[in-house]
Parts: sequence; C-alpha cells; structure tokens
Amino acid sequence: MIRLFKVKEKQRELAENANGGVPIKKQTAGELRVNKDISELNLPSSCTMTFPNGKDNLMNFEVSIRPDEGYYLGGTFLFSFQVSPIYPHEAPKVKCKTKVYHPNIDLEGNVCLNILREDWKPVLSINTIIYGLYHLFTEPNWEDPLNHDAAAVLRDNPKMFESNVRRALSGGYVGQTFFQRCI
Amino acid sequence: MAEPKTKYDRQLRIWGEQGQTALEKASICLLNCGPTGSETLKNLVLGGVGSITVIDGSKVELGDLGNNFMVDESCVGQSKAKCVCTFLQELNDAVKAKFIEEYPEALVDSNPSFFSQFTLVVATQLAEDSMMKLDKICREANVLLIFARSYGLTGFVRNSVKEHAVIESKPDHFLDDLRLNNPWSELKRFAESIDLKVPDPVAHKHTPYVVILVKMAEEWAKAHGGTLPSTRDEKKEFKELLKAGMVAMDEDNYKEAIEASFKVFAPRGISSDLLQIIHDSCSEVDSNSSDFWVMVAALKEFIVNEGGGEAPLEGSIPDMTSSTELYVNLQKIYLAKSEADFLVLQQRVKSILKRIGRDPDSISKAMIKSFCKNARKLKVCRYRLIEDEFSNPAVSELQKYLSDEEYSVAMGFYILLRAVDRFAANYNSFPGQFEGELDEDISRLKTAVVGLLNDLGCNGSTVTEDLINEMCRFGASELHAVAAFIGGIASQEVIKLITKQFVPMVGTFIFNGIDQKSQLLTL
Amino acid sequence: MAESTVHQSRSRDLDKLLLRPGNLVAPTFEPGAQLRDDLQEYAKILVVGAGGLGCELLKDLALSGFKNLEVIDMDRIEVTNLNRQFLFRLEDVGKPKAEVAARRVMERVSGVNIVPHFCRIEDKDIDFYRDFIIIVLGLDSVEARSYINAVACGFLEYDSDDKPIEETVKPMVDGGTEGFKGHARVIIPGSTPCFECTIWLFPPQVKFPLCTLAETPRTAAHCIEYAHLIKWDEVHSGKTFDPDDPEHMKWVYTEAVKRAELFGIQGVTYSLTQGVVKNIIPAIASTNAIVSAACTLETLKLVSGCSKTLSNYLTYNGVEGLHIKVTEFVKDKDCLVCGPGVLLELDTSVTLQKFIDMLEEHPKLLLSKASVRHQATNLYMQAPQVLEEMTRSNLNLPLFELMGKVPRDIVHVTGTTSRDDKKASCLRKLCLVFKGADAVTDQDMAVGA
Repeated sequence: MIRLFKVKEKQRELAENANGGVPIKKQTAGELRVNKDISELNLPSSCTMTFPNGKDNLMNFEVSIRPDEGYYLGGTFLFSFQVSPIYPHEAPKVKCKTKVYHPNIDLEGNVCLNILREDWKPVLSINTIIYGLYHLFTEPNWEDPLNHDAAAVLRDNPKMFESNVRRALSGGYVGQTFFQRCI
Repeated sequence: MAEPKTKYDRQLRIWGEQGQTALEKASICLLNCGPTGSETLKNLVLGGVGSITVIDGSKVELGDLGNNFMVDESCVGQSKAKCVCTFLQELNDAVKAKFIEEYPEALVDSNPSFFSQFTLVVATQLAEDSMMKLDKICREANVLLIFARSYGLTGFVRNSVKEHAVIESKPDHFLDDLRLNNPWSELKRFAESIDLKVPDPVAHKHTPYVVILVKMAEEWAKAHGGTLPSTRDEKKEFKELLKAGMVAMDEDNYKEAIEASFKVFAPRGISSDLLQIIHDSCSEVDSNSSDFWVMVAALKEFIVNEGGGEAPLEGSIPDMTSSTELYVNLQKIYLAKSEADFLVLQQRVKSILKRIGRDPDSISKAMIKSFCKNARKLKVCRYRLIEDEFSNPAVSELQKYLSDEEYSVAMGFYILLRAVDRFAANYNSFPGQFEGELDEDISRLKTAVVGLLNDLGCNGSTVTEDLINEMCRFGASELHAVAAFIGGIASQEVIKLITKQFVPMVGTFIFNGIDQKSQLLTL
Repeated sequence: MAESTVHQSRSRDLDKLLLRPGNLVAPTFEPGAQLRDDLQEYAKILVVGAGGLGCELLKDLALSGFKNLEVIDMDRIEVTNLNRQFLFRLEDVGKPKAEVAARRVMERVSGVNIVPHFCRIEDKDIDFYRDFIIIVLGLDSVEARSYINAVACGFLEYDSDDKPIEETVKPMVDGGTEGFKGHARVIIPGSTPCFECTIWLFPPQVKFPLCTLAETPRTAAHCIEYAHLIKWDEVHSGKTFDPDDPEHMKWVYTEAVKRAELFGIQGVTYSLTQGVVKNIIPAIASTNAIVSAACTLETLKLVSGCSKTLSNYLTYNGVEGLHIKVTEFVKDKDCLVCGPGVLLELDTSVTLQKFIDMLEEHPKLLLSKASVRHQATNLYMQAPQVLEEMTRSNLNLPLFELMGKVPRDIVHVTGTTSRDDKKASCLRKLCLVFKGADAVTDQDMAVGA
C-alpha cells in the first residue's frame, strides 16, 4: 500500500527544504457543524447572541433570552453554551447564568431540558436548543421539576407563583433566596 | 491503603472479588516460552494469577531477541525458561514465578503425573503427538488445558476440558426476567392497587411500565378468553390501547410500555438452551455428580413443580421511568419472589444431596443463590479429546467448511497446521524452515496435505496452492504480533476457565493473519 | 560482516515474511533485505497514547521490524494502570506515561529508538504529524480520535479526477477496547471510511435527565449523579469538581449514600461512584494485547505489503465464546473531513461577494445564502446579525487575499440548496484553485527572501 521508496524520496526532499511551514490550527468536524448551525440560526428578536471569543471561535457563546409573553415577560436571562469538539455527537453544555426562580432551572443554573441530555440527537441543532430554552419561559412546567419549591407553588397556587416570579425578576427575596434584578 | 485492590480496579469491575480470588488461587503451567507462551503468561501475571511455572528446555538465541519481549541481549546462551521467568516476575511481585529447564515433550513422556499439581496448563508450539499425549494426561488428572500455536501469519487456540459448566455467563444482552406474560399473584395484586387513570399528571407519567403492561395484559386476557395478544393484528391493537392510555405526548413511561410490549407477547416457559441442559443425561444425578449438576437436577424439579414451567425469578429489574416509591416497591416485590424461589430450590438441592448420600449442606447458600439468579443463563461447554478430533473427524463439518467461502481459508489453515507436523515428523524440519529447499518443500507439503485430506475422509477436497505456498513461506516462523494475538486469546480463555465466568470458546480458533478473517471451527 | 550475521539472526522470524516472495501479498510487495532495512530506516511511526493499547503497540512495533517510533501521551501513570500497562511499575506512579514507556521498550529491545512526547495531541504543530508514514491510535476517547483523524485527513489531496494523490495519504490504524471486547480498523483517507464517516459506530454516552436526579431517583447511579452534578454546585459555589481529587470523590460518595438512604435505594459504593463519575471503562490486559497485535500486524502489512490488509474494520468479542468479524464499511463520499470536496477554479480577483454569488449559479452546488469559513476563520456569516456585521466588510475583498494568497486551499461553505424544488440546508467542502496564482506566490516568496 505504501511505497517506501517514495517515502525515502520525500524525506530527502524534506531535509533539503526544511523551512518549517506556518502552523495551521486544525478544524474539528464539531467546529464545522457548529458553524453551520449558527450561520443558519433563525431566532426571534427576543433571543440575541454574543461571542466572547470573537467571530472565529463559535465553540463558546452566550444567548440572552427576553420572553415576550408569560410569567417571565420583561426579564432577561443569559445562558452560556459550551460546545464539544465532537458536536453533534454530544450535546452542548448549557447553563443559565442568571439566577432565576423557575421550576425547571435550579439556583445553580442547571437546566432540565430533555434535548440537552437524555434525548439529544445529532440531527438536532443549536437552533432547537435555543427554542427549547425559550419555551421553558413561556411554559414552565411543574411536572419535571428541578427547583422543587417553585414547581410546587406553580402547581398549587399559580397566582402566588406569578407574584413570586415578579418579585424575583425585580430583585428581591422569594423565601430565603435572593434574586438579582433582571428586568 | 489497599494497593492490590486499586491495582486490579479495572478488572475487578469485570469479574469481581470472586473472580479475582479464583485467579489468585490458580497455578498455571506454561509449556515452551517463545513469544506465544511468554505473551500468554504476561497477560495472566499482570492480572494476578497465583503462580506460574515456565517449562522450556532451550537456550536463548539471537533470533529470540527479535520476537520475544521477555528476553534481552544479556540472556543469549542462557536458559530461556529462566530468563522469561525473571522478566515475567518483574511485572507483578504478587505472583509466584518458577521455571524448569526441560523440554516439555520429554516431560510429557517421562513424568505425566507432574501435571496434576496445576490448575491449568497452557501448551504452546507443541507438535501433534505431544499434544495428544498431554491431552490425555490432563483429562485424566482433571487439569484444564489450552493449546496455542503461532505459525507465520496463522495459528490456533483450542481449549480442552471434559466439561466446563458456567453459572455466571454474564451475557451482554439478555432479556430481563419481568414475567409480564406470566405474572404471579403478588405482582398482579400490586398492579391492581394502582389506578392507571389517576388524574394527577405527575403520577400518571410516573407509573412504571411494568404496572401498565401487567394491567393492560390482564384487561386484554379478560376480554379475550384468557389469552394474550398473539397475532400481528392483536399485537398492533394492544399497542394502540397502550397509546390510547397516554394523556400527554411526552409520557416516557408509556413509550417504554409500547417498546416493551413484546415481553407480554413472548411465549412462556424456559428457553431451548435451558431445556437442553435440564434434559442432559448428567442431570440424572448420583453421588459422583458435580455440584452444578445437583443444582440442575433441583432446577428441573423446580421448573415442573413450583415454577409452573418457569425457572426461579432473577429478582432484579431494569431502570424505568417511575416515581421512586413505585420503583422501590416494585423492586421489593421482584426480590421477594426471587427469595421465595431460592428457598424452594435450596430445599430441593438439600433433599437431592441427601438422596445421593451427600451432606445436605455441602453446597453453600451463596452458590445456590447465584445459581438461581443465573438459572436462565447457564452454559455447559464440552470438548472432545484432541485425539478423538484427529482420528474421528466430523467429515460433514469438514467438508462444509472447506466449501464455504467464509470458512475455506481458516479450514485450509487447520489442515495445513496439521500437515506441517506430519511433514516435520518425516523430514525433521518444517516446510520452508531453512533457505534453499523451498520448491521441494512446497511439493512435499502438498503431498502431506493430500494424504491428510484422504485420511480425514475428504478425498477430492483441496487446499489452494496459494495457501500451501504461503505456509512454506512462513517456515515455522513465530512473529511477535501474531504471537501476541494468539497469546492474548489464550490468556483470555484461561481467565474465563478459571474464574468460571463468561463463556469460553468451543471449537478450534484459527487465526487468519492475511485478511484477519479468523474463524472458530467446531470439529 | 559479523554485524550482518547478528542482524540476520535477530530478524530470523520476520525475514521469512519480508525476504521471501509470496502469493497472497499486496501488489506493491518487493521482498528482500532492502525492504527489511528500509522498514527500519525510513518507516517512522507515531503511536498516539501510551496507555493499555499504547504500551502493547510500542512493544509489538519494536518487535515487528520498526526502529523509528514516537509516542505521544499527556497522562501520568496511575496505580489502576498496572493491571495491564505492563511497561509501568508501582514506583513509576506519577511519572509521564510516554517517557517511561519509551524508555522501557528501548532498554529491552536494542536498536530501537522511541521519542516520547509528554503533551496533548493538540499542542503539536500539524507539521509534526506530517513526518510519519502511519499513525497508530491507542486511545479511549472519541474527541482525540476525531482530532487525529482531522489532522491526518487534512494532508490528503485529490487530483482533478477526485482520486487521492498517493503521497498525501496518511493512513491510520486505530484500536479500542472495553472489557472482553475490542476493535481494530484501518483508515486510508480517501479510500476507506475515515473516523467521521462512521462516527455513529460510537454509541453516545448515557445521560440521565436532571429532573430524574432531582425528583425521582431510582438507582444508585442516579444518587451518585445527583451528588456530582447538582449537589456539588449547590454546596461548593464556584469550586469546580475535580474527579482526580480523592477528597472530592469521597464527598460525592458520602452525599450519594445519604441520598440513597433517604429514598431507600440500594447499591451505592465508592467503586461505583468512581465508575459513574469518571465514566470508567473496564479494561484487561488480554483484550489490549489482542487489539494491539491486530493493529501492529496491519501496520506491518500496510508499510511492507507483505500480505493483504484488513478491509477495514475488525470487531472482537470474547464475552460469549469468541466472535471475530470483519466488516467492510463504505466511506461517505460527501464527508467533510476526508472527501475531495467540490473543485472550483477562480481568478485571483474574485471578491468574496462574487464568490458567494457564483455558488448560487454553480450547477453542482446551487447553494444560496452561503456562509464561508477558511481554516479557523469565518470569512462571512449570514447569521446571526452580530456575526454578519463583523464579517460584512470582507465581502468586497478578493477571496484570494482573504485566504492568505495560497494558490489552492479548502474552504467550507454552509447555505441552502434547492434540489427538485426541495430546500435543504447543507455544509460543503470546496477545494479552491486560483488561476495563475503559483507565479504570484513564487514572486512573493522571492521578494520575501
């Protein structure tokens, strides 16, 4: 398969003009795919993105979501995305950077969204995830809780849940927990 | 700090403390420590076998430095057994390493009782007649035996033991034991206590699929004269009923129920493999029967009596979407049933032992428990004597392999590996072993092949010229990479035989280093 | 004279294969002493990973006629390696694997030279990898395989008929094991499927839903992952969990035990905690030996032609009996990593905007709304707005200049294609050749010198 004499020649050649090429950074298949996903994003105006590492590194970025309906209307929620080099073989790691009173997001920013973990598939995209996150704000659900207390309040007393959310959004305590203003 | 435990962590995760203890108790004897033998033992010493005894009568030559990692330049001219033993010992000081400078063939002839001290013998690079003699010796002494040989780009591995019974076969994919097609009363009662139409959506989506299926199957049976879905249409209808039970699209428990519905449709009773084992003549036990067969005899009684056609329940359940409470309760119900089955089987074991004149407590509780848990996965491997295989070949199998494109190269190597021994017996060297006689050797080997095929009753069959030429080109060389492959397989078989876990191969493994299409031949 | 006798004896067994003509061999096979000597002198091989497979590979290659080896591994030796990584001893714990492995093999097999590299694979320049005739992979991660694959396929060039140019083909031989199972495969970029063509062969890791961990744990693993993924952050605000810190691991274990007790769940052990958190894959010496031996044999056959080669994927399974299977996978002709890409000839004056317009017209592509990436640089992004604004100024510049005035290079474009009235998004690899650019670069170089 390999012709050794050719290798011999090549080594001679290399020795003759050893000038050292410019080091090129290798692109992973993951980077190419993220690029594709991002170039094809079709987001509502309520979702904006920032790329802290510049236009060429899209493996880490932030998405801010401003729901335009529902309990969380008017709030701004920042999510960090960390994409693996073997994306889309593996889902991105997503955390909520804004402390939020939400049944499906805990106080450390962990998000309970099936497509981020157990139901991730390579055919899904960054766009799907962002829509999924947006959806969590317009339709928080108490059936799959990550913040148990918030979920219980939403189930038993939606009015109180609403006022708790408003309090948290404008900056204040819900129970023992303080939330920064994010309106 | 428990250093050995940490050292063996990655393998303890596979065969557990019990498997490790079995390895640490084992004494292994190696015949011939060329690269094939050295590599086999290397893997076993690393894993922590109790002791090794290396037997080889030769001195290290320069050529050995090119294919064996367990010798170096300082070894040239010294006993190969001693040098290999020293380097192997460096790999793990927990292993007792000994060597004997003697030719294995001589030992087989002069001192057959020598081998009875070992748990297992690995015989490498042995010619046919010594193989047959050693095989009988080990069979007689109840010592496990593995033959391994590397030869150019081919080679073989073959186990030899009268019978190897496996309780913990640990198959990769094995259907769980949920009894959804044949639930017992406690499971039915538990299912009855749960309302599938519970209004709370959280409770609804956290009802385990086992409960859903038991209830739906029960309902179906009521409406269908006691039968479960069996035709294609019925199965489809059953799945539709399941789908109709969903109150939301994202109910994973219902999705799991639909996926697992085949477990309701599956026929009741034991598998054909297990049926064969309980009908084996060995299950008619007497005072000479092994513990395994005593337990099989008890299992047979259990299946026709208390089991109602089923083996003892395994007792564990897979993870499934569920609330913690329902899942834990379900676990308890399965565990209780398996415990009850175990007690019954234990009682049966005791009375059988009594009947055959043995101490009723001579089989430990832990052993019977493990037997119950694995009853559906039992395996029995049997191996013919090499002599039997050689003198009384399965002609139809041989011919089938020779004419099957997938197998013909491997079968060709099988023939050739035997033909080179005949050749060597006639000419005192292997074909192509020395330069200058290649052409002559090729035609001589061809003659040997034709003679062998005739003796095997395969007149008319042939081995291709190409393969015969290749075999002469190999010239009895022992290439390191081939030896490492063959030795790797041999050591893995050793581990399976000694730990009595997983299933050793049955048949002769023929390595095909040309395109890697190796095969296992059952002859 | 004396030396040549010694020499011959040493390769007593290998000589049979390398010096004698054979019938079932590669068409390139030229048996003879020259072949044996060339193998020793010119065939430089890189072993990636000095773990379970790497140790075996170095030994096997050193005893298969190769004398110029290099090995790269970023890890240090741990106690749990010792049941299989046979080049390491208890007193080596903490030392770099690559260095100890190289030294041990050189001590034992005289005449072999092994250069260790104690670093990450990404730390090396691409040119480092160019030097090797074959790259042999003994890795346990999808990421690392994917990276090396991209590097090796990056050297590949195609001629105008989309045939791989032989001098640019950098074959890889890859092995992997898990317990009693393993695989060995041969990747010849451009001819056999590359790692990305068949990435689906690697099952994704099981991930439990967070709400199951938080609300309805059922298994010991759920309790462990709760402690690891949720409770840790809650208690140690800001401090990252380090799986190699025993104190951290013990904390997770203790929390998992508490949680299991709370819910009546059985089976949390320290060993299971480590297994779940570190995703430990069980490993044994024998399987590593088998897979490495297969990889080495394929390497020897590829380089020397002394027999046929594995085509192209071998699986080994010793769990129930013994199953060896060879599967011939086919490559993805549109693979972004190993495929030829669509060849386009351009004038050096073509602007990025003009280029994007051309893609829409190109009969093979019909690609509208293209975004363009060259190596690690985004030349133009259609969306989102922020990136569009950042790259818009490139549109009026000549593409040749944007690409650093190279006469020929690969770009990746994404956009929408319409085939049979159906719109589909796609990502394509293009190979751009600038007309008359060779002369220009030569001039540039002359000026630069």
